Amino acid sequence: MTKQEIFNHIEESLELDENTLKEETVLDDIVEYDSMGKLSLIVLSDEEFDKKLTGEQMEEFKTVGDIVKFLEA
Amino acid sequence: MNMERQWTDKTILITGASSDIGTSIASELDALGAQLILHTSSMNSAEALQQRFGQRHRVVTANFSTPSALNDTFKEVLVNTKVDGYVNCVGVRSRRPLKLLKPEHVSEVMTINFLSYLEMLRIVTKRGRFNEGLSIVAISSIAAQSGGPGVTAYAASKAAVDAANRCISNELHRKKIRLNSVVCGQVNTSAYEELMASKTDQEDKVLERQFMGLAEPEDISDIVLFLLSEKSKYMTGSCMYADGGYLT
Repeated sequence: MTKQEIFNHIEESLELDENTLKEETVLDDIVEYDSMGKLSLIVLSDEEFDKKLTGEQMEEFKTVGDIVKFLEA
Repeated sequence: MNMERQWTDKTILITGASSDIGTSIASELDALGAQLILHTSSMNSAEALQQRFGQRHRVVTANFSTPSALNDTFKEVLVNTKVDGYVNCVGVRSRRPLKLLKPEHVSEVMTINFLSYLEMLRIVTKRGRFNEGLSIVAISSIAAQSGGPGVTAYAASKAAVDAANRCISNELHRKKIRLNSVVCGQVNTSAYEELMASKTDQEDKVLERQFMGLAEPEDISDIVLFLLSEKSKYMTGSCMYADGGYLT
């Protein structure tokens, strides 16, 4: 999966328009990154990337780039 | 009344016996001398159950994802055995916001949590498979009675179980069969640990409302045993809350 596709997955999960997120976008600045948005990311990570995303890991994410790094790894 | 003698004459079927709540119920009943039929879904957990509870009890493997296959397994199990109690502890959790609630996912949750339970009721309550006074207990959840973000599929499946118990209690009264639900709050189980590992910030709020704290599996099995026993003989189609105050 390309980096762009990962970005698009995250945008879809958070119900954002395509190509609105950048690596340096700060998660606290995204209104849609609330508890339901986080839940969507957990499902995305599990279903599309076969990775268990824990609450602890999520707390360490500061920017969209951190999420992309986690999903890519 | 000598309770121990009473249990030694009884056979209890527990589906989902390898769950923490199922195992707790099985332990209490085993200690009281009841005969058990323990169901689980995988060969590994079946071996673990047989090892833990010994050869005195029967262990059965069946997949609750395929309700139509349950009859073949259980009609053979119940051919020479009549049950006095049936407890269903099978349940899959689901946490998804609406936009991810695809029909396939909802259908999977409803199949395991509700349709298979309904199919088990059809199997167990067939003439000749139970003794007079059969008591059926379903493990339900506060989600069925209240609600919360992301738990739609799970809540709906448990609400369906409670609704089925209410309706079927009317139908099976003349067969002297009772059905009740135990509406559980958060219980200290491996499923709860998994939930907390991927918690967002909703989960802490549950325990704020559940002001008596997390339940232990034994808190639930004590209530299940009461519902299985004749001490609850005037109760059917009801929900007993074991929620540590959550629904107050």
